[in-house]
This record gives sequence, C-alpha cells and structure tokens, in this order.
Amino acid sequence: MLRADRAFGLLVLLALVSSTILIALLAALIPHVELLAARGAEDLADVVAIALLGLATFGIGLGLSSLLRQLHATLALIRSLLARRLPVPGAVRAAAAGLGVDGRIDVVDDARPFSFCYWFLRPRICLSTGLIDRLAEDELRAVLLHERYHLRHRDPLRLVIARYFAAGLYVVPVVEDLVRHFTLEKELEADEDAAHAMGDVRPLARALYALLPDADEVSLGLLVPVGSLSVTEARIDHLVAGTRVAARIPRTSIALSFGALAAASILAAGPGMLVAPASLLFVAAISGGAHQLRLVARR
Amino acid sequence: MTEQSLRRLRRIGSEEKFLGPLESAVMERLWKRGRATVREVVEDLGRSRALAYTTVMTIMTRLHAKGLLQRDRDGKTYVYRPAFTREEHRERLSRDLVRGLVDEFGEVALAHFAAELDGVDATHRAALRRLAKGGDRAAR
Repeated sequence: MLRADRAFGLLVLLALVSSTILIALLAALIPHVELLAARGAEDLADVVAIALLGLATFGIGLGLSSLLRQLHATLALIRSLLARRLPVPGAVRAAAAGLGVDGRIDVVDDARPFSFCYWFLRPRICLSTGLIDRLAEDELRAVLLHERYHLRHRDPLRLVIARYFAAGLYVVPVVEDLVRHFTLEKELEADEDAAHAMGDVRPLARALYALLPDADEVSLGLLVPVGSLSVTEARIDHLVAGTRVAARIPRTSIALSFGALAAASILAAGPGMLVAPASLLFVAAISGGAHQLRLVARR
Repeated sequence: MTEQSLRRLRRIGSEEKFLGPLESAVMERLWKRGRATVREVVEDLGRSRALAYTTVMTIMTRLHAKGLLQRDRDGKTYVYRPAFTREEHRERLSRDLVRGLVDEFGEVALAHFAAELDGVDATHRAALRRLAKGGDRAAR
C-alpha cells in the first residue's frame, strides 16, 4: 500500500518531471510561434503548434486559478472564523490536555458539527460548537488527535501544492489520481494515529457515528453522493476491520499520462510538430482537462 | 464578506428547508396520505394533540410558500400535496448542507471530520454503530 507521504513524494516527483518535459516542449514551440507571427499559418505543423500553445496556456491558467482559488478560500475562511470565534471552552481545554496543541485551537459558533485543520506554515485546528456539544470528552480528544496528525504534517499546505500540480498538469491525469489517493490515505492515517494514541478505536468511532447526519435513518442508503469514492466509508472500513481501501488509479489514466509525456518528449526533441504524438497529447488533455474543469465548476 | 457569509449561514441554517417540529408533523402526514386538505390534517394530528385549524392552516401556507407543498383548488378549499418525496427532501437538505460547508470553507478544509461531506450507505452506518456501541475491535 502506498502510504500518504510516499504518494505525495511520488506526486511531486512526477509533477517535476512532467513540468520539465512540458517546459521543454514550450521552449521548442517558441521558434514556431515567432515564425507564425511573422508569416501566418501555412501548413499542418503550424496548426499543431498553435493548438499545443493553446493547451499550454490553458494548463498555466488552470494551475494559477487553482492556486488563487485556494488562497482566496483560505482568506475568506479566516475572515469568517475570526468573526465567529469564541473563547476555547473548558471541555475542549480538558480534552486537549497534553496533546501539544495549546494556543492552536479555534472554536467557532456554528450549529453544524465540523472540525478541520487550516492554514499553511503554522496550521491551526478549528472546531465548531455544534461538534463540541455533541461529543463526550474522550470523543473530542480522539477528534483532536485526528486533527493533530494533519497539523503536524502540514497537510493543508501539501493539499494546496498537490491540487496546484493536478490542475496545471491536467495533460497528465494520473497526478489527479495520486491526489485522490493521497487525500484518502491522509484521513486513514490520521484515524490510525488517533486510535493508536487513545489505545482504543471506539472513542473515534463514536465521534464519527455521532456526526453522521440522521444517524437513526438507516434505510436511506446514500445520503450525499459527492464523488465516486466515499472517504467516510473507507474510514469506517478501516476503523471496523482495519482494512485499507486505496483510491483506484485507473490503467487508462496511467496509460494516457505516460503516453502524453512520451508524446511531449518526442515533440520537444523531434524535428517538427508531428501530428501523431500531438494527437495523443490532445486526447490526454481532453480527458484530464474535462475533469479539472468539473472540479473548478463544482467549487 | 463576513456579513455575507453570516447571512448565508443563517439562510442555510433554518429558514428555508429545515423544518420545525410542527412543520415536520404536517409534512409527515402529507407524505403518508399523499394529498389532504387542512381540515383532514387537523383531524389526523388531532388524534395525538389539540391543534387549532388556523395554526395548521398557517403552517401549511408557509410550507407552500417554501415550495415544500403544492396545492390545487377544489371548490372553496385547497388540496395540498408534497412537492418532493421524503427521500428527495432529505437529499436536498443534505446537499444544501454540504454546499454551504464547501462554499464557505472550500478545499482548504482538507481534514474535515464532518461526515456530511460524503455519502455513507446503510451497511457502513450499521457497522460503525456496532463498533461505537461496544464493538468487537476495541483496542489496537
């Protein structure tokens, strides 16, 4: 099983290699563009060059918009938190005793139960009053331990980097699959860390159960279909049976990604703008681009 | 920005689709019967509690205004029916809750402990309940 930190390392390595190849391709395109500007498009190679330039511009745009969107969301979040921040209640202080997270917990006035870790270099933990009211002290401690794992690993920063690469490198769709694997693994490892520190998996299980919406409504089935893989279901499997379900990385995605990178290398090193490798690059771009655009639209 | 997000929270929080106890009781009756007049709902609910006709009428008018009930005129009275099934209503609620959280917190909130953010089927729910209420895999 590919652990979260290794998945992140692999993701960054793949992203750097891919970026190098794509930048080399962009550099190879520049003379073409200069020629085009001087005399206009004359043959198929010129059309390919223009289309490739379009792909590159789109990728740069997607990457930057992902980064800006995430920074904007973080700043909006912090403004919203500051407006509703309450003093940390005694129950939270008691639950957090000895965890080394003093001064890094924010409590916000909100009836919805949630907790998360935010900010980049020195992350903080945010808890809602809705969450605190629903949980007993040991359950709250288990939740804090889960969040402490994310805090110690600076996971919000890693996620921003991972999402930036996935958006910018949309022609290499396997990067997005690695992001999904990384996100899921992070949650499982944070649970594992919390259960291990508690010496008992039940407080965490009780906390998770208490937070399920309409916990007595068992007949309904899927409540909120968001994405194909439910992180919470994977967490439950992990808590109950210790099994780890990895996010599936489809073979087509791997094939497309490596095909695209091989095509980009040929185009960057080759004699001219060849149609065959360029088409492969376009197929990968359409596949990955559509997914990244959906992600942008969903947020 | 802050004011705006607070307003949005209030909107999602209670006014639109989350139902009060009486509203829930009325919706329950209508989901069970399919369609009913105010009088019929008053009689139905009257078996378990005393409610004035005007109270029930106000509630049903409000549910109609919220888009949860539809009504057709039958002579001088209105016949009401639910605009959504119980499952559809619940799904809309969950979806709005998720949208509210995602709109507000965005992707930065990686380490969400809020299970609302994705779906959990009945099997997983039951397995988690067994573990939470005693469990066979206590220690690690």
